[in-house]
Amino acid sequence: MNELMSFWGQWLRPSAGLPTVQWSLLLAVASTCGYLVYRHTGLPKVVGYSIVGMVAGLLGFSGAVWPLQGIGLFLIELGISIVLFDAGGRIPWRWFRHNPMVLVQSIAESALTYFAVYFTMLWLNVPREAAGPIALVAMAASPAVVTRVVADTRAAGPVTDRAIVLATLSTLYALTFGGAHAEMLSRPGSSFFEAVPPVMVMFGVSIVVGALLSGLIRLALRYMSPSSENTSIMVLALIAASTAVAAHLGGSAPLAALLGGMLIKQLHPRPWALPRQLGTASSVITMLMFVLVSTVAAQADWSAAIAGTVLALIAVRLVAKALGVGIGNVGSGASWRQAVWVGAAMMPMSSIALLIASQFMAASASTGEAISRIALPTILLMEVFGAVIATVALYRAGETHKPWAELPTGTAREEQRES
Amino acid sequence: MSLEAFHHSEPLTLGVELELQLVNTHDYDLAPYAEDMLRLMHKNTLPGSVVPEMTNSMIEISTDVCHSCSEVISQLTPIRDALVKSADKLNIAVVGGGTHPFQQWHERRIYDKPRFHELSALYGYLTKQFTIFGQHVHIGCPDADAALLMLHRMSRYIPHCIALSASSPYVQGQDTQFDSARLNSVFAFPLSGRAPCVLRWSEFESYFDKMTHTGVVKSMKDFYWDIRPKPEYGTIEIRVFDTPLTIERAAALAGYVQSLGAWFLEEQPFTPEEDDYLVYTYNRFQACRFGLDAVYVDPPTGTHMQLRDHILETMDRIAPYAEARGATGALQLLRKDVEAGQNDARWLRDRQREEQMLAEVSRQASLRFRGA
Repeated sequence: MNELMSFWGQWLRPSAGLPTVQWSLLLAVASTCGYLVYRHTGLPKVVGYSIVGMVAGLLGFSGAVWPLQGIGLFLIELGISIVLFDAGGRIPWRWFRHNPMVLVQSIAESALTYFAVYFTMLWLNVPREAAGPIALVAMAASPAVVTRVVADTRAAGPVTDRAIVLATLSTLYALTFGGAHAEMLSRPGSSFFEAVPPVMVMFGVSIVVGALLSGLIRLALRYMSPSSENTSIMVLALIAASTAVAAHLGGSAPLAALLGGMLIKQLHPRPWALPRQLGTASSVITMLMFVLVSTVAAQADWSAAIAGTVLALIAVRLVAKALGVGIGNVGSGASWRQAVWVGAAMMPMSSIALLIASQFMAASASTGEAISRIALPTILLMEVFGAVIATVALYRAGETHKPWAELPTGTAREEQRES
Repeated sequence: MSLEAFHHSEPLTLGVELELQLVNTHDYDLAPYAEDMLRLMHKNTLPGSVVPEMTNSMIEISTDVCHSCSEVISQLTPIRDALVKSADKLNIAVVGGGTHPFQQWHERRIYDKPRFHELSALYGYLTKQFTIFGQHVHIGCPDADAALLMLHRMSRYIPHCIALSASSPYVQGQDTQFDSARLNSVFAFPLSGRAPCVLRWSEFESYFDKMTHTGVVKSMKDFYWDIRPKPEYGTIEIRVFDTPLTIERAAALAGYVQSLGAWFLEEQPFTPEEDDYLVYTYNRFQACRFGLDAVYVDPPTGTHMQLRDHILETMDRIAPYAEARGATGALQLLRKDVEAGQNDARWLRDRQREEQMLAEVSRQASLRFRGA
């Protein structure tokens, strides 16, 4: 017997540890839940992922901590970078030359959201130093959720395209102003001019890394087919490297990826659809990102007062985004009906909002605490219900393949619906 | 329902319809923007009309009645420019070509119009597979009997029209080995193919009455023939052309048809007969499959020859009529390509050979359409 145990002891090898097992099982459950939600309700899989993350967070799952740090932070940054690189690659600058009202629409909805949320927070007695950052967090719609909803419902059309572009642009503004604000917050007492250099460093690093990323991919695409598996792996690897480098040098990894995507669209006008080629690898990373976000966001402390503030924020944000999209709609080539659904499709908040909130938390623990008390529950609610609202909006706009009306009844139809 | 009376039209006048692809500028797949394009286009004052087509990634433009192919291009140009401007505003692109090279038919959505829904209910998946893009040319006829004569004479030149306009080599991402694969989709419809060989309008009316009595057809729109009479316009409508990649080629093809029609009316060169149709399907297949390199079987003699030689021979024959109608330039444009063995299908294949990416081929085709 002793000999057997001795052999057994020699045979065992050190493993990756309990956290790996926990995360693996959590992802397996999330994947199953996403599938079941999709199959039985027609809602996008991201709703299932978020629900599992939320339940795990509420049950006290300790695999992810707030504020974000270490590998959890990197994974969220990587997931966001992949989504934003693709989303940036969908924005041709020439479109704004031909249709400047889209840019007006974008600026109007972002600015209105910022000011509406800011003044609402002040009215609800949220401290001024927290109200501004919360308004910046609220400004960012989530291209990550919108693109997952689009993929799952197989949506296509003017509302879909415009919602993705406006969500991406709002993210660009939120990352830019959020990054600058966080840098200044991290240097309390310094004058405006003293705070400028670090802000410029943050932007400079992001721009340089973004330019390098697009330049390298552009170079590779001269010799490699965009439909090749090797190209996909190369792109993923370069995005991962740029995410690590940008964060390490004090830049913003998502901003770098977004700028990289936008730059490559200008440098490389040939068609190049990233999600079709990146396949399962990027799906795993983005799924992990959604679970992680809701797990972390669910760690917020709830109270009646916070719930009221959060609901007010969500309502004001919805109205502000819809109004902003509506104001810029005149002459933008879209109908009023479409403008309403574009506004609704921009409801989701997710990883980017969490990351911006995390930046504020890292910059100032006390202010960050006040921000996260309101931001985290808002992000949690909007990751789940935002995805549902976006799905309804695209469905009502007539751009999905009718998820509820045509629920699959047989194997063949299920296979066809699988993305 | 009885057949509408054949209305008067000025002989040899032209009307051109072009079905066009709407694609996104991201991956150049078809984009469901027909409604938005129609809304923007209706704000312009333009000749002709812009209307929806079967699925919502398609749009059809048409000219008013024109007297020459130069008038056709003078009408198509402002329509094309307005289309391009509207597309730029929506961040999409407009493309010619008989098929979209890699779209998946099951992803298409039927345009929300009662007739299209009725057709979808009747034909099932064929309606979504009907996301194909053709050019229709109407040519004015002096009277109803002359229209039938013109129709059946023109049938001998259907392979010419196919080979000259062929621009649909790719379907669902694959090279079909056909220059015009689009017409294979049309053939799936039960009332496609050729019109019955009757040369008197009274006989055609009785044929139509018998067909309506069976309940299979209700109007002339239910016939998907290669050429069909259009009594409400006083024309015959030639429907075998793939939409070319440029409006210049579309106008040139109209000029070719007009010159042929002028030759028919002036010289009455032959009398069509049922036996002409013995080789019709074979010639049609050859032109679809091999384009300008097809074999052409001369219906009256059974002689086999290269289609491109027969096209050049015909061009020589109709050259005086082309000159009289101001279509010499149009014929020269086509002749140059025939001599070089070039058509739009070959251009698309050349691009694909170079790029190895059909989405990029579509992007370059969109640049050609806008005249860049």
